[in-house]
Amino acid sequence: MTTTPTTIVRFSRRARVEHVAVMSLFAVLALTGFPQKFFPAPWAQVMVDAMGGIDRARWLHRAAGLLFAALLAVHLGGAAWPTLKRRACLSLVPEGKDFRDAAAMLRYQLGTEASPPVFDRFDYRQKFEYWGLVLGGAVMVATGFLLLFPLLATTFVSGQLVPAAKVAHSNEGLMAFLVVVTWHVFHAHLSPEAFPGDTSIFTGRVARDRVRHEHALEYARLLEGRDPEPVPEAAWLALVLAPLRGALLVMYLPGLGFVVVGRHLARRAAAALSKLRRRRPAEPAEEAEPGEPPASAA
Amino acid sequence: MRLSLALLALLTAAAAAVAGAEEPSPGPPATATVQDCLACHGDAGLSLTLGTGETQGLHVDAAAYARSVHGSALNCTACHPGFQEQPHPTVNTANRAEFRAAFRSVCKTCHLEDDRKAHDGVHWQLLAAGDTRAPYCADCHTAHAIAPPARPRARISQTCAQCHPAVVAAYRGSVHGRALLDGNPDVPACTDCHRAHDIKDPRDRAWLLETPQLCGKCHGDPKLAAKYGMSPNVLGTYLSDFHGLTASLHGRKHADDARFTAVCVDCHGVHDIRSVKDPQSTVIRANLVRTCRKCHAGAGESFPAAWLSHYEPSPDKAPLVYGVRVFYRAFIPFVIGGLVLQMGLHLRRYRKER
Repeated sequence: MTTTPTTIVRFSRRARVEHVAVMSLFAVLALTGFPQKFFPAPWAQVMVDAMGGIDRARWLHRAAGLLFAALLAVHLGGAAWPTLKRRACLSLVPEGKDFRDAAAMLRYQLGTEASPPVFDRFDYRQKFEYWGLVLGGAVMVATGFLLLFPLLATTFVSGQLVPAAKVAHSNEGLMAFLVVVTWHVFHAHLSPEAFPGDTSIFTGRVARDRVRHEHALEYARLLEGRDPEPVPEAAWLALVLAPLRGALLVMYLPGLGFVVVGRHLARRAAAALSKLRRRRPAEPAEEAEPGEPPASAA
Repeated sequence: MRLSLALLALLTAAAAAVAGAEEPSPGPPATATVQDCLACHGDAGLSLTLGTGETQGLHVDAAAYARSVHGSALNCTACHPGFQEQPHPTVNTANRAEFRAAFRSVCKTCHLEDDRKAHDGVHWQLLAAGDTRAPYCADCHTAHAIAPPARPRARISQTCAQCHPAVVAAYRGSVHGRALLDGNPDVPACTDCHRAHDIKDPRDRAWLLETPQLCGKCHGDPKLAAKYGMSPNVLGTYLSDFHGLTASLHGRKHADDARFTAVCVDCHGVHDIRSVKDPQSTVIRANLVRTCRKCHAGAGESFPAAWLSHYEPSPDKAPLVYGVRVFYRAFIPFVIGGLVLQMGLHLRRYRKER
């Protein structure tokens, strides 16, 4: 065949199904969870009543939570298995380049660098979101089970872990929601590149031109007919290190925002200050001009 | 005896009528009427036999009536209209309940609001359902020796004890009951929690779910908390925990199908509430696991520590919970703030490029 297709398969059927599942479960968990977190608010009571009472809302939350836990287990199993079998695929594991890319992108956006960094199959923002979801999901599942079975849990662990788990569950949930409505909605819907919505996670396909622009390294690999994903040398070590690298990226990226923007603002302030200092010596001379009558005398 | 008394009364009345014809009547007419009635009803033995064979006393203690709140204000016919006539209007004398019911509606002539409230109360519900043991106005206030019900306040529990002796005995051993008997004005008597007239059925779920607000009237009052060295935040800490959250979200709408959730009285006891300094208290550490097991069968020794005992998490109390809370208080703004800054830069760059 000489014709090149205009779209490229990016997500497997399994990944697409998992996304739809996590999206629906997230919605159910948020709708049934937030009225419990913000219970004194009038809207919380309205929502709970609409769901048929707090008991039913809680059972919905628990059922969705158990499904979420199952989904997380299936997903992690599905990611770990091929890695162990040396058949793929650690394209979502952060590496040194991602940390450098993040800084380079911010420098480019601030105008101190001429061109943006080029990305492989997944860029640092996508990896951040993936690991935020996986690690945050693990926190939610662990604390959720502790809250669902407090009697069982306290036969093994200190009782104080139960209220601590409640604080963690409620705050981690809030943070996940806020990340989704800011970072995810921005990059999947509101950013000029994606507006009004990036459909690739539902169709599985993405326009060839977009891959060429946004994932240039992957595109080059595809043209050369190479494997889109590198196979790890030591599979076990790679699996153990992956969540640690993910956690590192999750902590690093928000901090980078403050550091880069802060440094940029500090430099501009310093520049403005030095400009002001250079102008100042001239001022006394202007004021000392003799013979100038006061404006009121005119 | 009875005949001679009636004759005497008739003679007295006739004498008064004759005297009245000569000059204006002496004294206020109300007093005269009371005296008229007492001519017969002052007799300690005056009684009638009911249809059931029971004896119903008709004696009115003149001194007690004079001391009562009505003694100086009302004459007998204010509450017993038509009874100045001889013979008296007919009253159902089939049994004691019917006889008492005949006078039940007289109080609302003046005390309409209290009567209305009493119709919302559990005692009236019982009466309406045919339980003749349930009290109405005169059973608590008495018919003729009516005194201010809360003077002294300990009198309230004496009144309720007439029908609820076991409950009042438990109450008198509680931290509230003992203080009440010592004359403490701050502790609740029966009617402070149950109300006087619109008494709710204590099994009513909606009322049970309002227990935290009821206890919170005093236990959420900073002045009382300072006076007795109590925490003013017991209500807030309860509400933000699992039980309290459940109780407040059950609301009124789903109160009836509510599954059980612990409110104040489930852990602290109802009438036998004890101070936490009392070794018999159900909520001190030594006894708490037994209290938890009332609902959480099989709770282990470390299960009660899952409840922070009305303490706010702090480095001293529940350092782990405090630590997690502080972490997220910093971490959420850190993550969201850092990401929002980067989204801002993204848009800024895009606008410049166009």
